[in-house]
Amino acid sequence: MSANEAIIAEVIRHRLDAINEEAATTLKRVSGSPIAIESNDLNTVITAADGRVVACGFYVLGQVASMHLVIEHLLAEYADNPGINPGDQFITNDPYLGTLHQPDVVLVAPVFHDGELVAWTGSVVHQMDVGGPTPGGMDYQARSIFDEAPPMPPLRIVEAGVVRRDIEREYLSRSRTPELNALDLAGQIAANNTAVAQVQALCSRYGAALVTDVLDRLLASAARLTRQRLAGLPDGHWRDRSYIEYRRGDAAPGDEEIYVIDVIVTKAGEQLTLDFSGSSEQAPGAINAGYGALANYALGTVMIHLCAGLPWVPGGIVEAVQIISRPGTVVHAKWPAGVAMATGSTVHAIRTSLNVCLSRMLQADSTLHEHVLAACQCSGAGGGAMSGVGTDGAPFASMTLDEVSGGAGATATRDGGDTSGFTTSPGSLNVNVETNESYLPVRYLRRAELADSGGPGQYRGGVGAIHALTPDGTPKPIDVLSFGQGLQHPQAAGLAGGEPGAGSTFAVIEGDQLANLLAGDGVEVTMPTSSIQLGEGMVHVVGSQGGGGFGDPLERDPAAVARDVADRLVSRDGAARDYGVVLDATGGVIAAATQARRDELRRQRLGGRVPAAPQPEPRGALAFDHLLAVFDGSVICRRCAHRLSAAGDNHYVALIVERRPVARRAPLGLRYPGAERFEIRHFYCPRCARQIDVQIARIGDPIVVAALPVPDGSADPPDG
Amino acid sequence: MSALSLASTWPARATFAGVQVVGVDAGGTFTDTVVIGADGSVAVGKALSVPAAPEQGVLDSLRAAAQARGETLAELLATTDVLAHGTTVGLNALLTGKGAAVGLLTTAGFEATLPMARANKLHGLSSEDLRIPSKWAKPDLLVPRQRIVGLDERVTRDGTVAVALDVDGVARAAQRLVTAGANSFAVALLWSPANPEHERLVAEQLRTIAPGVHVSLSSELAPRIGEYERTTTVVVDAFVAPLVADYLGRLEKVLADHGFGGRLVIMRMGGGVQSVSTARRMPVSTLQSGPIGGVIAAQQMGARLGHRHVVTSDVGGTSFDVGLVIDGAVQLALQPRIERQPLAMPVVDVTSIGIGGGSIAWIDASLGVLRVGPQSAGADPGPACYGRGGSEPTLTDAAVVLGYVARLGPQLDLDIDAARRAVAGVAGPLGLSVADAAEGIVAIASEQMRQLIRRTVLERGHDPGDFVLAVFGGAGAQYAARYATELGVAAVVVPRFAAEFSAFGAATCELRASAERDLPPGSPEQRVDELNALFGELAEVAAGQLGEQPSVSTRRTVAMRYFRQTTRIDLAVDQLSVDQLPALRAEFHRRYEAVVGPGTSRPETPVEVVGAAVHVSAGALAPPTQARARTADIEPGERIVVFGGIEHRTAVLDWDSLADDWTGVGPAIIESPRTTVVIPPGISARLDGEGNIWMDAR
Repeated sequence: MSANEAIIAEVIRHRLDAINEEAATTLKRVSGSPIAIESNDLNTVITAADGRVVACGFYVLGQVASMHLVIEHLLAEYADNPGINPGDQFITNDPYLGTLHQPDVVLVAPVFHDGELVAWTGSVVHQMDVGGPTPGGMDYQARSIFDEAPPMPPLRIVEAGVVRRDIEREYLSRSRTPELNALDLAGQIAANNTAVAQVQALCSRYGAALVTDVLDRLLASAARLTRQRLAGLPDGHWRDRSYIEYRRGDAAPGDEEIYVIDVIVTKAGEQLTLDFSGSSEQAPGAINAGYGALANYALGTVMIHLCAGLPWVPGGIVEAVQIISRPGTVVHAKWPAGVAMATGSTVHAIRTSLNVCLSRMLQADSTLHEHVLAACQCSGAGGGAMSGVGTDGAPFASMTLDEVSGGAGATATRDGGDTSGFTTSPGSLNVNVETNESYLPVRYLRRAELADSGGPGQYRGGVGAIHALTPDGTPKPIDVLSFGQGLQHPQAAGLAGGEPGAGSTFAVIEGDQLANLLAGDGVEVTMPTSSIQLGEGMVHVVGSQGGGGFGDPLERDPAAVARDVADRLVSRDGAARDYGVVLDATGGVIAAATQARRDELRRQRLGGRVPAAPQPEPRGALAFDHLLAVFDGSVICRRCAHRLSAAGDNHYVALIVERRPVARRAPLGLRYPGAERFEIRHFYCPRCARQIDVQIARIGDPIVVAALPVPDGSADPPDG
Repeated sequence: MSALSLASTWPARATFAGVQVVGVDAGGTFTDTVVIGADGSVAVGKALSVPAAPEQGVLDSLRAAAQARGETLAELLATTDVLAHGTTVGLNALLTGKGAAVGLLTTAGFEATLPMARANKLHGLSSEDLRIPSKWAKPDLLVPRQRIVGLDERVTRDGTVAVALDVDGVARAAQRLVTAGANSFAVALLWSPANPEHERLVAEQLRTIAPGVHVSLSSELAPRIGEYERTTTVVVDAFVAPLVADYLGRLEKVLADHGFGGRLVIMRMGGGVQSVSTARRMPVSTLQSGPIGGVIAAQQMGARLGHRHVVTSDVGGTSFDVGLVIDGAVQLALQPRIERQPLAMPVVDVTSIGIGGGSIAWIDASLGVLRVGPQSAGADPGPACYGRGGSEPTLTDAAVVLGYVARLGPQLDLDIDAARRAVAGVAGPLGLSVADAAEGIVAIASEQMRQLIRRTVLERGHDPGDFVLAVFGGAGAQYAARYATELGVAAVVVPRFAAEFSAFGAATCELRASAERDLPPGSPEQRVDELNALFGELAEVAAGQLGEQPSVSTRRTVAMRYFRQTTRIDLAVDQLSVDQLPALRAEFHRRYEAVVGPGTSRPETPVEVVGAAVHVSAGALAPPTQARARTADIEPGERIVVFGGIEHRTAVLDWDSLADDWTGVGPAIIESPRTTVVIPPGISARLDGEGNIWMDAR
């Protein structure tokens, strides 16, 4: 690149980001729909001519990170018939071609300059409804995709700049909310129009060759920088499992089948491999992720948890990442499996497991320590659709978005953000109570931070929230459909001995039971079904998950625990139980009692044995993560220098395992039928009693070897 | 109270010809003064701001203006009828986190509204932090959880009381907050816009228990539906209240001590100025002033010169601000935020990015490109050319290297060698000459400025060709010709008082007040009677804020939007009746397209009424300004200026001595004591009758 091009390239880089951001704001402004503006459930991209994504917005990363799948499909299938021409735009919501699920509607437009294809622009917006048997398009009863909203293959809805009325009608007529979908469609068309025109203007000004050259350079430098970051990290294998539950058809509550999302991350040299092939066979309907959803969320997670501070150019980053999956599994569904609820379930499990693996990997490099994040709230946690008759007497179908209020994962140096939502949808917002009460026939009784829901750790996971509402101003009971996960067990994993955040809450109860439920008095709850009705005087309670903690909670600064108790983010009981901190009547730390309690808890971890005191780390030990190092061919505990195993061997066999019921991390002491199938496994250093790892597992599943250093690059991937 | 209460009844007329008005805008670095004499003559003054005692900077600046008029500070103040002031005291309290210990009272069960912050961890972050997820965080929590108390009460969406307020509970809560150290109160109860009675009862209790302590009520300050934004508005208000009140008291005193007997008025974020007593009652309204003064001055200039659409640009030391005038009206922000805190009140829409004269250029080795910002050398040490120890190359240094700037203003000497050395630091590694690197720095900064202007105009669906680009601030005119390139605006204008434009806007804007309230969304047909009653109520509130000065114009607006949309459009109405509604709907569709963009209205989608407002104005304060008085001829100078890598012998003209009908073609430099206008080769320029400089845009 010549010297002057160093300046022009920077000008073009800025212009591309500005054009893409302008497309998003144009979309929001022209659409004005509540999902677009209130919850920012949308995103925009600019890609190279071959579809590799160069610019993407900060809204829902998982909607667009792998937009190349859709564009590659168009290039392969449509080049001759119907053709891809200047002024065209293609619409699709087909999850088998690369969209997340049917409600996420993609609209892409080729950019031509002097008759040559130079780039693509595109956007995705979540729609309230795209048809199918149920409002919102998600159904527990689905036996296959034919029981869900029928996906729309790519259609050329704009031809040479003109909207095809027949195709527009075909699209809108499917929906229960055609007027809202029409607003979003107008916004998406306007967004593409402005982005296409400006990329063309860029080509006129600087020449198409230079513009495409800059696109290629941005892709190449993102790939190079990602590889450099990988090269600086130790080789190894990292593994994690997440669980989701799904009940086929009309099986009884409590008979949910358990689906496992299993990933082995292997880092060798400059290459990252994400192997999902150990995941469960696919379900008949709803929860499966299509390959597009897997690719989008996997890449979005790699951007967030590996590429912090690097250019977020997904089409370049992807070159350093290989995804391995088995068709016919819950993470890579085979037609005609249903996929409509993927975004409420499997994609978040994919993100959570990858997050944990990548953040373990980053811990080895002290310069990347600041980017280490435990898992945020995993699922939509109680999220779902409501339908019925509104205050105006007309039918309604809508969402509250109350689930966008879970905790963030702790970092290696700070507590996780309280009630701050998902990492992969960073721009999404929770909706005001007054806004929801304006449009839904409900009255909120409570919206509060949920004490003890943040995963305990040296740094605490962010707390989730609890929301309670009751019908108000409707003549009929409200139908409530939940697609929340994580009721039977927690999901938001901790790191480095930090514990998971609390699981989700979902309940429909009589109004007089609310106080008991909030007090943790053991109100009886059941798993959601597809036919729950919220009648007059009843209360609907949803709780969002807390984020995972970082580090052993017994190493948390007692003053920080006291502050959390004063802020009601941790209960007094929680302080003693989870952190070993004893407070006096005014909330001050009793230092001696705290020390004694922590000593006692450590003794309990060792089955009554007195733990060894901390030892300085031997010189020459090479940190593998926050807690383990490789020294003299062995994996050692960094707190007491105890040798756990030979490097490359499974060091988990040397750790003490304590299995605890999941109830310990259940919000408000709630117990869902089926929870007895899960446990939380705590792993302790056998010498100093430090908590080395905490895993959520189905009882009977083998212990996951979560991290395995490969000093010589030769060890096999971990099994078990 | 001192001289203040003796002061100044308003001149008993609706227009203010014959009145001497002074505008003083205190910015981060400089405090600017513009004096508009009773005869329409204009004088300006400038002084360094004094952050620890801003009133001192105000006095210094006033003294400089007095000197320019050949009089003493006391003489200037004695003849001044109105002093209009924009202050950053409230904003600084927010920036530094050093505000009041606020106690927040809210509806029981919803105490978490503020800390939950609608889960916003991203909006308002810098573009760099957006790519570092461990830095995603909510806006600063201005009230710790221990000072947030829930009250037993509940109002529902139609204003019905579902749970009556426990008045004794209020007393207990207030006592608890006082014990916890609260020295300022904010009250935000659910649905208070629909029924403010509970908030009023709470205020009564608070005033009994803690007399003299500031109380912000959301139903008064921000009666909009949406409890989070209403809460942040009262919290920010209560947070800055004691500091702002204290400052206004000190300012009134020093002005009175120096013989000021006129009326002090304060800039408001929603446009116009307000009385000191209103500013004390809602200090949040003073948070932004400088950028808003500039937009108002541009709007007035557009009105005088016949330009209905104006886009404004202001290059500061660390930021670049863009504002819009559409159809002759200053635009309000749809979702205003200050320091990431959302505000549920009218705020003039000014969009900023962190690029300015102090932005540092650096080589991004990973991308192999030259970058400018977001780091800034700030005011201290400032750019290398300030000669105060700065060594990193800034945008200002690049302008110095290219020969754009030959002086920095009264209190600074220019160190050209230091600028060259600094720019050489990035030129060398890139294999560029120092001049080429400087060109590159200006090009990259200009690109960022251009993109912000383009987006601001295009996002609203407008054609830049319909707009005049107004350029002000001390440095804007150095780069305007660069960043106007390829924008497609109709013309570029540098106003005669570009360097003090914000203070000019403060002096010339209207005394205004407004009151508004949201209604639960509903069809216009259902709301006619309610709206008419509401207009009466709001008019009283607004008139009360205006004080003794009678209003000369009243504007009633009704806020409408498409069903469930968030983009609301304010439509001017008179008394409402059902038969006017079809016309009102038609006007809604028309205005919607004007604001959102052609072809975007959807007549088949239902329209709902969501609120109403009454705006009153007592008219502009200052008399029309005199035509410029051309000074004696000054022989044009000459210096070498680099354009497009080529050194040009360039004429240097004195702005004040240009002929009234001057026209010319670049390359040329036009200088005034405070501004330098750079006219690149081939660009034609002219002076207009007011003394503004116009450039062709390419």
